[in-house]
Amino acid sequence: MSSERPLLDATATTPPTPAAASRLPPSQPEPPVRADHLGFSVEVPDPFRRSRRDNRDQPPDLSASRRELQEGGDCESRAVVVGEPSAEFSGNAIRTAKYSALTFLPRNLFEQFRRLSYVYFLAITVLNQLPQVAVFGRGASVLPLAFVLFVTAVKDAYEDFRRHRSDRRENNRLAAVLAPQTASEFPPKKWKHIRVGDVVRVVSSETLPADMVLLATSDSTGVAHVQTVNLDGETNLKTRYAKQETQLRFSHNGGVGGILHCERPNRNIYGFQAYLEIDGKRVSLGPSNIVLRGCELKNTSWAIGVVVYAGKETKVMLNNSGPPSKRSRLETQLNRETVILSIMLIGMCTTASVLAGIWLLNHRGELEFTQFFREKDYTTGKNYNYYGVGMQIFITFLMAVIVYQVIIPISLYISMEMVRLGQAYFMGADKDLYDKSSRSKFQCRALNINEDLGQIKYVFSDKTGTLTENKMEFQCASIHGVDYSSGKDTRGYSVVVDDLLWTPKVAVRTDPQLFKLLRNGGTNVEGKLVLDFFLALAVCNTIVPLVVDTRDPRQKLIDYQGESPDEQALAYAAASYGIVLVERTSGYVVIDVLGDRQRFDILGLHEFDSDRKRMSVIVGCPDSTVKLYAKGADSSMFGITNKELDSVRATEAHLHKYSSLGLRTLVVGMRELSQPEYEEWQSAYENASTAVLGRGNLLRSVAVNIECNIHILGATGIEDKLQDGVPEAIESLRQAGMKVWILTGDKQETAISIGYSCKLLTNDMTQIVINNNSKESCKKSLEEAIATIKELRVTSTLDTLNPVLSSESAGVVLALIVDGNSLVYILETELQEELFKVATECSVVLCCRVAPLQKAGIVALIKNRTDDMTLAIGDGANDVSMIQMADVGIGISGQEGGQAVMASDFSMGQFRFLVPLLLVHGHWNYQRMGYMILYNFYKNATFVLVLFWYVLYTAFTLTTAISEWSSLLYTVLYTSLPTIVVGILDKDLSKSTLLAYPKLYGSGQRNEKYNLNLFVLNMVEALWQSLVVIYIPYFAYRQSTIDMSSLGDLWALASVIVVNMQLAMDIIRWNWIIHAFVWGTIAATAICLFVIDSIWFLPGYGAIYHLMGTGLFWLLLLIIVAAAMVPHFVIKAFTEHFRPSDIQIAREMEKFEALNQVNRSEIPMRTLS
Amino acid sequence: MVIPVLAFVGLIFIPIGLACIVSSNKVVEVVYRYDTKCVPGNMLHNKVAYIQNASIDKTCTRTLKIPRDMKRPIYIYYQLDKFYQNHRRYSTSRSDAQLREPKAAGDVAEFCKPEAFAANGRPIVPCGLIAWSLFNDTYSFARRNRLPRDGDHGPPPLTVSKRGISWPSERGHLFGKNVFPRNFQNGSLVGGGQLDPRKPLSEQEDLMVWMRTAALPRFRKLYGRMEADLVAGELITVTVRNSYNSYSYAGGEKAVVLSTAGWLGGRNGFLGRAYVVVGMACFLLALLLTLLCLVFPMKEEHLLLR
Repeated sequence: MSSERPLLDATATTPPTPAAASRLPPSQPEPPVRADHLGFSVEVPDPFRRSRRDNRDQPPDLSASRRELQEGGDCESRAVVVGEPSAEFSGNAIRTAKYSALTFLPRNLFEQFRRLSYVYFLAITVLNQLPQVAVFGRGASVLPLAFVLFVTAVKDAYEDFRRHRSDRRENNRLAAVLAPQTASEFPPKKWKHIRVGDVVRVVSSETLPADMVLLATSDSTGVAHVQTVNLDGETNLKTRYAKQETQLRFSHNGGVGGILHCERPNRNIYGFQAYLEIDGKRVSLGPSNIVLRGCELKNTSWAIGVVVYAGKETKVMLNNSGPPSKRSRLETQLNRETVILSIMLIGMCTTASVLAGIWLLNHRGELEFTQFFREKDYTTGKNYNYYGVGMQIFITFLMAVIVYQVIIPISLYISMEMVRLGQAYFMGADKDLYDKSSRSKFQCRALNINEDLGQIKYVFSDKTGTLTENKMEFQCASIHGVDYSSGKDTRGYSVVVDDLLWTPKVAVRTDPQLFKLLRNGGTNVEGKLVLDFFLALAVCNTIVPLVVDTRDPRQKLIDYQGESPDEQALAYAAASYGIVLVERTSGYVVIDVLGDRQRFDILGLHEFDSDRKRMSVIVGCPDSTVKLYAKGADSSMFGITNKELDSVRATEAHLHKYSSLGLRTLVVGMRELSQPEYEEWQSAYENASTAVLGRGNLLRSVAVNIECNIHILGATGIEDKLQDGVPEAIESLRQAGMKVWILTGDKQETAISIGYSCKLLTNDMTQIVINNNSKESCKKSLEEAIATIKELRVTSTLDTLNPVLSSESAGVVLALIVDGNSLVYILETELQEELFKVATECSVVLCCRVAPLQKAGIVALIKNRTDDMTLAIGDGANDVSMIQMADVGIGISGQEGGQAVMASDFSMGQFRFLVPLLLVHGHWNYQRMGYMILYNFYKNATFVLVLFWYVLYTAFTLTTAISEWSSLLYTVLYTSLPTIVVGILDKDLSKSTLLAYPKLYGSGQRNEKYNLNLFVLNMVEALWQSLVVIYIPYFAYRQSTIDMSSLGDLWALASVIVVNMQLAMDIIRWNWIIHAFVWGTIAATAICLFVIDSIWFLPGYGAIYHLMGTGLFWLLLLIIVAAAMVPHFVIKAFTEHFRPSDIQIAREMEKFEALNQVNRSEIPMRTLS
Repeated sequence: MVIPVLAFVGLIFIPIGLACIVSSNKVVEVVYRYDTKCVPGNMLHNKVAYIQNASIDKTCTRTLKIPRDMKRPIYIYYQLDKFYQNHRRYSTSRSDAQLREPKAAGDVAEFCKPEAFAANGRPIVPCGLIAWSLFNDTYSFARRNRLPRDGDHGPPPLTVSKRGISWPSERGHLFGKNVFPRNFQNGSLVGGGQLDPRKPLSEQEDLMVWMRTAALPRFRKLYGRMEADLVAGELITVTVRNSYNSYSYAGGEKAVVLSTAGWLGGRNGFLGRAYVVVGMACFLLALLLTLLCLVFPMKEEHLLLR
């Protein structure tokens, strides 16, 4: 199921089946719908809807996963001949790289030109090549586009090269594959040559090369253990089985054969259905018979399997669709401004061309003799380069597009990528984001959404491994109404087996009193109860003890493997008290009870299910009594107890205490069965477990019948330790205006208790619980929830006089708790809308028992309905879909495997790093990027407007006084570098301020740094500044000898200084790098002007030298800068004083504090002197 | 912080502006527009025919009164209006390679069209519309009221020096010493002045000045320099040979300008006024902000985060 560790979940494990080895492992009791498919299918399957064709094809006991086949449509199965590689299906080579050496150029160019802006620049470059409209020289016009394309291509090539390298490494790994026509020769073969039908032998710790059906393993019962870290992130071992038929066949003659029919490749990693035709028999195969590519074989010396899915058809590859390329919010919003700028561009071009047309019409008769026009070429007698007014208007329009193209800043895209690169570097270098314990650095995996970190409104968090450390620890026990929670010393307990010392891997802190009681007791009643309690812990589970060698040859470690970490913790706890589970076979367990090894026969096991919320085992004890041990949630256990009120009441009190400490609690009980009771149960159990139809229900009713009249032994408290700083982090995030949702695979109670322990839930919250098993009831409870909310709203608005206050301030805080089963009926149906309404009204949402794709569905619920940014954080493979769905996905690189990290946009070591990441870096990134985009629009608009105003004095012929090289260098060199450096380095507020006042984060959520108003303000400033830049020199040089190049140089230099001054005014934290770039750029511009005016074949030779020799030039420069900047300066001052934003207020506080510190440090100095 | 800066800018700018105004006012400028005045009354209705008729003598003598004392050097400019030297067809119509190197004479490229080749197919040097439209009105000056008396040499005659009117960079590098005009101005349509084919381009300073294209449609270009002082009230005669066709385009004014030079160049009060205005504006803004700060002091709640 999901990788969340449910408290008692034993559903995914099939108990080793005794004696009847040929029997199928019992099919898993399943919820009506595999939630994994929810993202794609809303169909609630009807168990009776199976088509006849299905019936014909499949043995009846495969009903468990028939739904998958139905989903596959016509369910063509694939037939695989075991041992005969088939070329019919996809080979095992994988390919994640996008390009090859040959296809790189065309495909990469294609990819790049999918950006609309690049097409625009290409079109303009092409346009410029037409002789009639050529504005720039050919070389010069191609340069900017070529530069942008080149830089991007180099980046892409490098990334793809790395993918190629990893592909090659993966494809060239070796696996032992059965040579055709032989029985037992397994020569090595490269992974990429493996084909469907190949028989592969894998040894311990080897990775599986493809999805295989197990045929045989080193274990005589056909058991193999696999670790699925790479697949779903779970580190514990999973048990898989080879069918007895194939296992036996293999051990007898080593031969294999038969035809395997299996479903078509699909991405459901928890479902598989097939049957094997062997010796004329049909052997059915299920999910427990398949091992998947990427898993590792563990604790099994070898296993042999037949490849059924290879290469890109393997489940891991099908699930690895690769992160969808995300675009940041700002980049999307930027399109709107680009459209506005395009309209401006078209407006300017139209104006220029219409005016040009009017000019031509007015001067129609004069053009022939006008010296500066010279309509005709007298050597040919025809018009020269003049095609009539209409055509001239059109040509002028095209030329105008070329001249004014920079209004849509091409360099912006490159600048943004560079800025993100720089930001990523500083995020990675931040020590606050470095996890010392796991030595994991912060990683920016997606380089295009840095600034989204500053605008998050919803945080969706996984629980296990993300909020918690995923290390269960036994903390305390209440036995027969006595609380033993003063565990102090960790005393390792070992047992002696064959002169070897076996020590459990994990030692638990033991309570000395309890320990003593256990040692001395055994005789008195109290000691007996304690012993039973620990026996229950050791027996009532599905733990497999694995004995591992250590360096010391006389010592071995017992490693408890199981799917539930809670059970592991309990088994280790029992072991620490001296009741050590030593061995488990299919029929019995061996337990070392205080040095005395005893054998307990496992007569039956009732698995955990979500209705009963408990599990139980029927054990044949060494003293030949038959006992039922049960453990489960308090609610379910107290309902079936016998009435021993005193101890039960005490236990209840202790449970309350434990859970208020945030511990995961379990109640343990026991019942001694009399012989008739046992016999009755046994026959019922036999019947049920061999039943063909409705086996799950039958088994459940057997369990319910026997689980009654339980004697409560006690309760346990297990701590799933929260990671450091999680409650504080969540508190900060909530203060910052983010809504934190927890999506967990845990059951409801655990989720709620974790909710309490990480301070997400508090006692004064009103909880709305939606936990239903049908669509109708879901609908009903949602409607009720909406009604409740309305009611609360009404009462709260009546209570408080101010109706504007939200419910939170009115004291009614709502928490929504939704169960995965209900989500089945809600997501992807019309009920979604209601859930959305309820969820957005609640300040806390907990979703429990959710499957991976449901997590994505929940994220999508918010993402598709609001403009708010979503962030998903998780650590396991079950979080991958949600990480990819959210606007920002964060992977925790911790205990579990790399799947989540691989799919994430950012990865880090701890949940609490989210706070500095969002509040500090996200804030900075957003502020800087928003400013940078607006600034780029502004600076290019300023320049284009400067060009535009001049056109009014050139008979509307689009001549530019500024030389073409300066025009092209303006965006590339004169103004681009400072904005990049500022985008990387500037910090509006210090880290400590941002962390101290989480509310400052709201600036990003409210889009304060990038919105239409700011854009308009910037454009107005551009307009004003361009007018100043143009008209002050215009009036000063009217009726003078000023030439085009000199005036152009002045305009270029003035524009550059003005836009850089604007930037300089908005910089908050100067350092020497920023100084160097801002002032250096102005100097570089001057140098470039000198260089351009020193080249004789360019117009304007010598102009700047002459120009700078005049006093007028310098006076003009001074007044242009002053007049251009004054409005910006005053507006800034005005808003800071009268309408300050939060950020400005915080900045004032910073200044004030800094001042105070100076003063404080000065005062003692005075007293000293 | 803002208020002192604004006040400071005002403090600096107003004196600068006043200084500029004073300096500009010192410059003495005499402008004489002659484009219509030098056309005989009977030809006024068809000025183009007048200017194109080579048989008419276009010399035109007028008297100018000097308003204030003018100290040497006195610069003489011609001023054209509505002449778009920055027209796209025009401003690119030149070949710098050809001007510089005799070998590059054929490098008329596509820019020079339609003045690239003469009727005989040979390249024109200097090619292109700019050179072709060379301004060719000439001026000469004489003092009117102080004629030389006997035995008294009198004040020196008003000679116009045409040397050094171009930039040294143009004389030295842009216009070649070995490049001589060839096939120039012998097409069917004459655009402007002729060039002396015996003089290398590096000595044709009028051409250099003309080819340094003006930024704005109303422009002045340096014609020459007079090393003489003129006194207020003095009358001088200017003899214009009006041969440049400024009549075929609308608004084609022509004027001759005599001007002294201040440290900011010619007479232009704009810069000074601009400085004063900006300075005053800064003062006013500073005052306004101070008032606002006094009337609406920063409130406590401003210091609370939202």
